[in-house]
Amino acid sequence: MRLLGAGRWITAVGLLLLAGVYVRALAFTPIERAQGLAQKIFYLHVPAAIWAEAAMVLVGLASIFYLFLKDPRLDRFAEASAEAGTVFAAIVLTTGPIWGKPIWGTWWSWDARLTLTLFLFLLYVGYLLLRSAVADPGARARYAAVLGICGMCLVPFIHFSVYMFRTLHPMPIVLKPSSPSLPGSMLATWLFSLGVFTLLYVGFVIQRYALSYLREQLEAAGEVGHV
Amino acid sequence: MSETIPANSGYMVAAYIATAVILVSYAVLLYRRTRKP
Repeated sequence: MRLLGAGRWITAVGLLLLAGVYVRALAFTPIERAQGLAQKIFYLHVPAAIWAEAAMVLVGLASIFYLFLKDPRLDRFAEASAEAGTVFAAIVLTTGPIWGKPIWGTWWSWDARLTLTLFLFLLYVGYLLLRSAVADPGARARYAAVLGICGMCLVPFIHFSVYMFRTLHPMPIVLKPSSPSLPGSMLATWLFSLGVFTLLYVGFVIQRYALSYLREQLEAAGEVGHV
Repeated sequence: MSETIPANSGYMVAAYIATAVILVSYAVLLYRRTRKP
């Protein structure tokens, strides 16, 4: 299947370029004076957060269109995007506390941004569990679509939580109405990393989409049960 | 007045390793699942 091959190649290139991000971030990007080397976690944490949220927005949009059009390709894409989003959310929830400990003095704080990000991760897990628990493909896609739309509604609250609530988490320094508050070399590294995370998202989604398609073909042929 | 940069490289190394482990593990998992759907 050509789609699967394309997904594998894109993922492989993404992982190779990720090594390039590591080299650029660690060896060719200046050290921030106040935070020290821990600030370099920014180059992984923020692109992962952007794709954890964007993936859920795409799940929600595909789900809305699925409910109107009943096109199985939209359901397949929503499932693939949710699984990739779970991976990026796991990175956010891992790198965030590791960054927080030296800067805030604590691994975790139950403030709005952190708690809502944890909810996003749990919603992803719930979405995937729901899909695996319902055997009927039509019902599975409908129930998952409703949950996907709910998940999408959570994303603006996560993004704007730093403005709406008192929180330990800093304000956005790149994704904000005014220009980014970063020196050029740091911004270039961040943009490179964002590009690589985008490539990885695309590679993961294409492979996962192809996997769902292959499984549906096998299910239709009666060769495999629902997984 | 000289400013000292905080010594916290261990946290950065841990975050970079954790990210690589998560991404590579998922890529390998996907590869194995798509080989035997």
